[in-house]
Amino acid sequence: MSEIERYIAPKKLDDALEALAGGPVTIVAGATDLTPQITGGKLSYKATLMNIQHIEGLNAVTKKGGTKKDGKIRIGALVTVSEIRGNHMLKNHAGILCQAADHFASEQIRNAATIGGNICNASPAGDMIIPFLALGASAELARWQDGSIETRSVPLDEFFTGPGRNMARDDELLTAVTFDVPPENSIGLFRKSGPRPALEISTVSMGISGELTEGTLKNVRVAFGAVGPTALRGKLTEAALEGKILNQEVIQAAALAARKDVSPIDDIRATKWYRTHLIGVFTEELLNNVCQN
Amino acid sequence: MAENVAFKHIEKTSMIGKRIKKPDAPAKAIGKTRYINDMVLPQMLYGKILHAGRPHAEIISIDTSEAEKLAGVHLVITAKDTPDLKLGFVKDNAPLKSKVLCERDEVAAVAAISEAIAAAAIKLIKVSYKDLPGVFSAEEGLKADAPQIQENFPGNKSLKFEFKHGDLAEAEAGSDIILDHVFNVHYVTHCCMGTSCAIADFDHNGKLTIYSQTQYPYNYKMDLAPALGIDPGDIRVIQPTTGGSFGAKLDVYPYEPVAAILARKTGRPVKVLFDREEEFINSPTRQPAAIHLRTGCTSDGILTFRSADVLMDNGAYTSWGPTVPVIMMRTVSGHYRVPVIDFKAQAVYSNNAYAGSFRGYGNVQMTYATAQHMDMFAEELSEKYGMDPIEFHLKNAQKSGEVTPQKSYLRECVLAECLTTAAEASDYVNKHKSYTEARAQEGRYKRGIGLASSIHNAGGAKIHKSDGCGTILKMDDYARVTVITGASEIGQGIDAVISQIVSEELGVPPEHVTLVNNDSDIGPWDVGVHASRTTFIAGNGAKRAAIKAKEQILAAASKQANVTAEELDLRGGYVVQDKDGAAVIRLDRMLRQMHFQPTPDVVMVSDYYEPNSELEGKDHISDHSAAYSHAVHIAEVMVDTLTGEVKVEKVTMAQDVGRVINQMGLEAQMEGGLAFGLGFALSEEMIFEEGRLLNPNFRDYKVPTAPEMPEIEMHFIESDCEEGPYGAKGIAELPTIVVAPAIANAVYNATGIRFLNPPMNPEKVARAIWEKKQADS
Repeated sequence: MSEIERYIAPKKLDDALEALAGGPVTIVAGATDLTPQITGGKLSYKATLMNIQHIEGLNAVTKKGGTKKDGKIRIGALVTVSEIRGNHMLKNHAGILCQAADHFASEQIRNAATIGGNICNASPAGDMIIPFLALGASAELARWQDGSIETRSVPLDEFFTGPGRNMARDDELLTAVTFDVPPENSIGLFRKSGPRPALEISTVSMGISGELTEGTLKNVRVAFGAVGPTALRGKLTEAALEGKILNQEVIQAAALAARKDVSPIDDIRATKWYRTHLIGVFTEELLNNVCQN
Repeated sequence: MAENVAFKHIEKTSMIGKRIKKPDAPAKAIGKTRYINDMVLPQMLYGKILHAGRPHAEIISIDTSEAEKLAGVHLVITAKDTPDLKLGFVKDNAPLKSKVLCERDEVAAVAAISEAIAAAAIKLIKVSYKDLPGVFSAEEGLKADAPQIQENFPGNKSLKFEFKHGDLAEAEAGSDIILDHVFNVHYVTHCCMGTSCAIADFDHNGKLTIYSQTQYPYNYKMDLAPALGIDPGDIRVIQPTTGGSFGAKLDVYPYEPVAAILARKTGRPVKVLFDREEEFINSPTRQPAAIHLRTGCTSDGILTFRSADVLMDNGAYTSWGPTVPVIMMRTVSGHYRVPVIDFKAQAVYSNNAYAGSFRGYGNVQMTYATAQHMDMFAEELSEKYGMDPIEFHLKNAQKSGEVTPQKSYLRECVLAECLTTAAEASDYVNKHKSYTEARAQEGRYKRGIGLASSIHNAGGAKIHKSDGCGTILKMDDYARVTVITGASEIGQGIDAVISQIVSEELGVPPEHVTLVNNDSDIGPWDVGVHASRTTFIAGNGAKRAAIKAKEQILAAASKQANVTAEELDLRGGYVVQDKDGAAVIRLDRMLRQMHFQPTPDVVMVSDYYEPNSELEGKDHISDHSAAYSHAVHIAEVMVDTLTGEVKVEKVTMAQDVGRVINQMGLEAQMEGGLAFGLGFALSEEMIFEEGRLLNPNFRDYKVPTAPEMPEIEMHFIESDCEEGPYGAKGIAELPTIVVAPAIANAVYNATGIRFLNPPMNPEKVARAIWEKKQADS
């Protein structure tokens, strides 16, 4: 473990980005993943430890515009999983996020863990990543450039580059996650598995969203967790569903496609067989739930 | 202060069976308790151990020079500093190793002024190893060309046990059904909330004070001394509050002498404290076992024989783990009437982790097998001959007065009552039938109900020459009682029980009783917290001491009141007339009168209670416990046949407790015991690859969490044990022992699949169901 030479806790985003531009920085917010990674020797501290918890303006959930094409929802990087879980606006417009938050770790961890942390951590099993992928969300990245803040937006399905790796550059801070307000006729369902109901790292997880009109699914997005090096979109599954009337035949075809979409590994948590099997089971289960509701 | 007691009457009431709060519970709940892990002594150094992290290797060289140079480091030691020091009851272990035999092996140790410096110093020690081919299972260890693990144990053969009774060939010939299965019981560990810790401190006379989490402080001195080369008399054991033991602290493990060696050489107190990963890798496990069980039965449903051949992976060293056959064979030869027994067990050295004692002590493993065989018989007899499953169990259930082939004398045996109570309360027979019928029908979720039962020693187990406990009781001038007992309190609740018993006898409130029991220089002998013995043994001791005190007080009072002592009693803080409760004198006044007189009469009594059991002995034919108890669990499960998830919805228990002493403590022991069994059955598993533990953390080693706990319905059957205090029996291990096979039998009822190899985790269950479906279609 290397030594921390400097600890900073800026209140202004400008100061934080300037510090990031100035050299190697370890960013900490909820610390629920950072601490075990440091203790376990997977990560070591850089010279500066920057606590971003006090930065103003990164802890809000906002909705601009309505459910028509122009609406946007923006979730600040410091919003905690507990805040997502209890947010009424999100329950109404993006319930899949609240479902995932509901299955996230334990009360204590939900209270501390932030959305920004869960995403930047880029775990293939990251529970909040799945609903964001299903919602077609983008990461908002900010950096200090020539004396002012420069931002860019990266779609989440391009953001993850490997286990624990993402597209953010060393001088960039993830400031928010944004996505279009889903239309009124949207559905969104999340499912994760593990042997126990609390404090469980996903064996596999999955999310599905889309618009349902008279039994037909459109603009379908499917996301899978813990079945590849990153959380991923299920393109074959989406194709099997897009524009189809949801019936048992289509559901079976989608479950088959889902098994082809994923490339899980054997590890101590589960075998490739079980992960693939569960993906098929969950795809069927979630689509049957869509039919029944 | 004078008080008119003339019109005061106190009715006779009893504390026994009441709900008594554990005295230390509030402090623990609000975080005020200071555990050993929190302790800091003046001038204390922090010890840290370098573990090998490889299963089998020669140590070519160790270079400690960089570590020694690090500022803040006081001492670095290796095996060179600890020659000839041995530990373990076959003395096959050492504080520090000159050759690596398993992943946890202690190679070097550091004492430094902070934990961080000690940890940094450990990383600076350079060890050059030459890895050797290893042995990673008992079967491999028995092969002719297997690497030799321990020099003094040729062929890797460790402990061996045997018990035979009756003519096996004849019994087999007389059997209509013979079941023959191998059950593989896996590695699990205790997961105490407080990780392992010891603080050692030598005085200038060479006497060691060791602050320890041990659950057997008196034998501990005997076991620790040879690991230090000192006299056991020069060891004082202090037991600060500990965060759980469950058998894990029933032996001396290398970190304890290492702390003491560092302390002696530095002249400072030294604390060794494990972090969670160290705790997983370096603590004892439950003894894994391959149990080849054969059981015979007639078409009338009468058991004819049991034969068990047990193969145990000993790991690299011998702690208590491989001694569990002593208890396994009592279950094979008892726990239903079995006329012919053929039991053998062999432990084989390997380069794996080694096992210690763990709640249930072999019986968790063996009952997982025997209770499934009972269920298989019940299924077959019901199918072929229409026999009622409970009828089958009752036909074979032993009764009071029976003696098992090993000479366990079942004085008060209520197995039949346990069976009928649990079966009726859970509507077992009807549910079992309807779930069996529902099995063939379509549907993702399947319900099942399963029954299991077992026997366990409930009045200690005389595996040492003594199974006794000493008690010293004194009363002060204010009628406050101090009980100095040999019995340790490690969270199990003897503090509440002793207060309650003393309160019952002396008529004082339980909160006026103080327990002193954490210092071996003060407390009298006791064998330790194990074998579900403490309430039985120390409870008897406390009762007998309190009765002596009561007799002394009543004798003095009788002279004053001009009545016989038999006509008096102690109630509600008074000496009273026994017949009508009329108060004679306040108890504290009575004690002062006794004290402050020309011939002072002060209450200071002692007692040594040795149960009437017999030493286990080499032939294993002895009445080794002062009492035996049975329990029946009926588990109701819901199985998701696609994901393989097993949800235990309800457990109905019926257990012979002898007599309820502290209702609250008893319920807590049932719940806690069940949680251990639940984790063992469904999710907990240490995963090893060539001797290395792959999941040394709570993320991947899955202990049950609160939402997984089922609804529990408890039925306590009071058999009124003649030898037990107020009729009580020991209770703490049976709930862990019985629940797992009850769940396995319920999963069978739901799915038609037997799980011989726990844990029944989702993947294993899903895979078995999927494979059965493939085979059926």
